[in-house]
Amino acid sequence: MADVVLEKVEKRFGDVRAVAGIDLTVRDQEFLILVGPSGCGKTTTLRMIAGLEEVSGGDIRIGGRSVTHLPPRDRDIAMVFQSYALYPHMNVARNMSFSLRLRGMPKAEIETRVREVAAILGLGEHLDRKPRQLSGGQRQRVAVGAALCRRAGVLLFDEPLSNLDAKLRIHMRTELKRLHQSVRSTMVYVTHDQVEAMTMGDRIVIMNHGEICQVGTPLEVYDHPASLFVAGFIGSPPMNFFEGEIAPPDGSGEALSLKLTGGVVLPLPRPELAGASGRRVMFGIRPEHISVASAGKALSDVLWAAIGTPAKVPATIDVVEPLGHRVVVTARSSAGTFQMETEIHAGVRPQDTVDLWFDMSRAYLFDRETEKVL
Amino acid sequence: MTPGDGEPGPGPAAEGPTLRPAAASRPRLLDREAPLGYILVLPAILYLGIFIAYPFGMSIWMSFTDAQAGNPKWTFVGASNYSKIESYEIHANDFVLATLPDADAARRFIAKKAEGKVTTAPAAGGLFRATLSVDGKTIPLVAMPKETDASYLGSTIASDLDWKQEAGKERAGPVRVIAHAGDSPVTFGPFPDRAALDRGRNQSILVPARLDVRTNGKGVMQDPTFLLALKNTFQYTFGTEIIKLLLGVPCAMLLNRKFRGRRLLRGLIVIPWVIPIALSAQGWLWILDSSYSVINWFLVHSGVLSPANIINFRGDKNWAMLSVITVNVWRGFPFTTIMILAGLTTIPDEILERARLDGANAMQRFVHIISPMVRPILLVSLLFSIIFSFTDFNTIWIITKGGPYDQTQVLSTYAYQLGVNGGFLGRGAAVSLFMFPIMAVMVFFMLQFLRREA
Repeated sequence: MADVVLEKVEKRFGDVRAVAGIDLTVRDQEFLILVGPSGCGKTTTLRMIAGLEEVSGGDIRIGGRSVTHLPPRDRDIAMVFQSYALYPHMNVARNMSFSLRLRGMPKAEIETRVREVAAILGLGEHLDRKPRQLSGGQRQRVAVGAALCRRAGVLLFDEPLSNLDAKLRIHMRTELKRLHQSVRSTMVYVTHDQVEAMTMGDRIVIMNHGEICQVGTPLEVYDHPASLFVAGFIGSPPMNFFEGEIAPPDGSGEALSLKLTGGVVLPLPRPELAGASGRRVMFGIRPEHISVASAGKALSDVLWAAIGTPAKVPATIDVVEPLGHRVVVTARSSAGTFQMETEIHAGVRPQDTVDLWFDMSRAYLFDRETEKVL
Repeated sequence: MTPGDGEPGPGPAAEGPTLRPAAASRPRLLDREAPLGYILVLPAILYLGIFIAYPFGMSIWMSFTDAQAGNPKWTFVGASNYSKIESYEIHANDFVLATLPDADAARRFIAKKAEGKVTTAPAAGGLFRATLSVDGKTIPLVAMPKETDASYLGSTIASDLDWKQEAGKERAGPVRVIAHAGDSPVTFGPFPDRAALDRGRNQSILVPARLDVRTNGKGVMQDPTFLLALKNTFQYTFGTEIIKLLLGVPCAMLLNRKFRGRRLLRGLIVIPWVIPIALSAQGWLWILDSSYSVINWFLVHSGVLSPANIINFRGDKNWAMLSVITVNVWRGFPFTTIMILAGLTTIPDEILERARLDGANAMQRFVHIISPMVRPILLVSLLFSIIFSFTDFNTIWIITKGGPYDQTQVLSTYAYQLGVNGGFLGRGAAVSLFMFPIMAVMVFFMLQFLRREA
C-alpha cells in the first residue's frame, strides 16, 4: 500500500504562498497528474512529496506513515527529473544501480534487477554506454529505469517529457502508460501540458495560484469543468468565452435566453436557472460544439443538429487552419472572435460570411464574480 | 546572395548577367576570405616567431655551446653543458669494523677504541695496507699506492670517525660495530674513468662499507647545486599544489553555497591572484621579515615563543622553503578555487537532488557525484597551476633569491644565477631547458588521463 495523503500542505517562499494549504489523496497504484500553468505550485507540491522542499505547514503521509520531516531517502519514493539528472560519469547500469549500491545490496542481486528493468525499458544493449552516448529518448528511459530499480512505492515524475521532440513525446506517453500498467506503482506526474494530462492520467488535479481547482478523471474535468479557469485550461483549441447576461425567453421555446454583446441572443435550455434572469455570466462553448451551416455541411454537423440545441450565429470566417482530418476555424461575430473545430471537408474559406451553429445543450455558464460554474 | 559571398556558384537565373557580369571569373582579392585570414593572423605569427620560437631555438643552441657573457665567440661543445663526467670519486661511510655476538660485547669493543693501533705495511701489487689492531682483533682497513695515504686514511677511520653499534640492532643476536662518518664521508679518488674507479673500489677498501660513487665535471648533472635545485623545484611545485587543493576545494564548496555577500566574497578571493607579485611580495617580505615579522610578533605576544627564539622565516633553512611555498599558495589558490567553483556550478541542482533521493549523504555525494564531475576541470586547473609553479621565478626571487645556501634554489632561479649573474650562458640555458622534457612528460600524462576521463 503506497497511497499519498496531503493534508493542508502549505509552502511559503518569504511572503509568497506557492502552495496554499492543499488537501489531496493519491490512491494506491493510481496514475495521478498534477497540471497547471507555470507557477501554479504543481512542481513545488511534487518536490514536497519528494522531500526536496521543506513543508511550511500541514502533513504528508505515504502508505499511512507521516513523512513530513523524513529525508527523501526514507520516504519510499523515486523520482524522474525534467532534465533526467543522469550521472554523466557513470554508465547506464551504474546510473540505474546507484541507489541500490548505496544501500549495500549484494552485487548479484543488483545485477539481476538492473537486467530486469533494462529489459522492460529496452535498454539491455546500452548498459555499458555513458549517458552522452545516448539519444534523448534513451536517456529518458534510463532516468525512468533508475527510478524503477528502487522498487519504491511511489514514483514521482517532474515534467519528464518536456525535453523530448513532439513525436518521441507521444511515443513515450504510451510507453509510460504501459509501464504503469505493468509495475503498478503509485505515480504522481507533473506536467504543464494538458494533452499529456488528459491522455495519461487516471485522475487529473488542476492547480492554479497554489490551489487545487478541480480533481477528477480526464472526462470529468473535460465535460464538467468546475470553474472558468479549468474550462479554459483543459481542451485544445481552448473553450470560447463570451460575456453575457441571462435573459427571459426569446420565444424559441427554451426556458431562458442568453444575451451576448453585439445584440446576439441565444436560447438557453437551462430551466433550473429561471430565477437568475438578469445575472451577468461568462458563456463558454467548446470549438467542437460549433458547426458550419453553409452549403457543404458535413455529416456530423447534421447529426448533432438533430440531437442538440442549435442556435444560429452569423459570422465571418477569418482564418482557416487545417490539421489534417480536422480544421480549426477562427471566426468573427458581433459577439466577439471565436474558434471552432470541424471536419476538413466542411468547405469554409476565409472571408466567407456564414451562419454558424452553437449547440446550446453543451453551453457552459460561469458566474462572472466567483468564476464558478453555474 | 550578395557579391561578397565567397565563391560564386552558378547564380540564380533571375539575377542574370546584368547584375553579375563577372560571375564566372575569380572574385576580387578583397572579396575573398582566405587572404584576409592570413593578413589577420600575420601579427600573431610574427609575435610567436620573434618572441617565442626564436628565443627558444636560441637557448637550445646556446645550451650546446660554451657561451659566456663577454665572449662573442661561441664554440659548439656538444652535450657537455648537460652532462660531462671528468672524474669519479668514491664516498665511503659506515665502515663495518667487527661483528660481535651481542650488544654488551659491542659496547666493550667500542670502549677499547682509544687502544686501537693502525699499522701500515707493504702488501701485494705495490700497495701499502693499513691495518687496525684493537681488542685482540686485526682488521684490514685500506690499501693505497702511497704509504702516507694508507696511514692517513687508516687513522681517520680508526680514530676520527665515530664508532657505534649499528642502529636498530639493539636486540639479541650478532651486533655490528661501525665507524660512522656522518655528513663528511671518507673520499677515495678521483679516478679518471670507470675502469680506474672499479679497480680502486676493489683494491683500496678492504673493510665492508657503504659506498657511494660521485661524479665530478662541468655538466649540470654533475653540479650538486643543480641537483638540489631540481629536488627543490619538485618540492616547491607539489608542496604548493597539494596545499592549494586542500584549501581550494573547501573554499570553492563554501563559495558555491548561497549566502549574503557571496558575490562580494567571490570578488575578494581573487585579489591575491590579480595583484602583481612584485607588489604583494613586498607585503610578504615584511610579514616574513627576520626582525619585524608580524607572525613572530603575534607568537611572542601570545606567549608561544620567547623573543630569543623568533623564527627567521627567510633565513632559516628549515623555514625558507615553507615560506616561499606559503607565498605561492597564497597567490595561486584563488585560481584553483575559482576553477573548482566553475566546475561545481556546472553540476545541475537536479543531479544533486537525485543523489539525495537515491540516498546519498553529503559525504557520499561528494565522493561519488561531485568529485568525479569536477575532476576534468580540476585536472585542467592543476595542469595550468603545475606549469605556473614549476617555472615560477618571481616569488622565490623576491622572497629568498634562492637562499639560504640554495635551500630554496629552483631551476628557474638557478638558471638565472648561473647564466645571467654568473655569466655561464650555455650552462644557464642547459638548466632552464631541463624543465622542458620534465614538463612535457607531466603534461603528456595529464592530458592522457584527461582524455581517458572524457
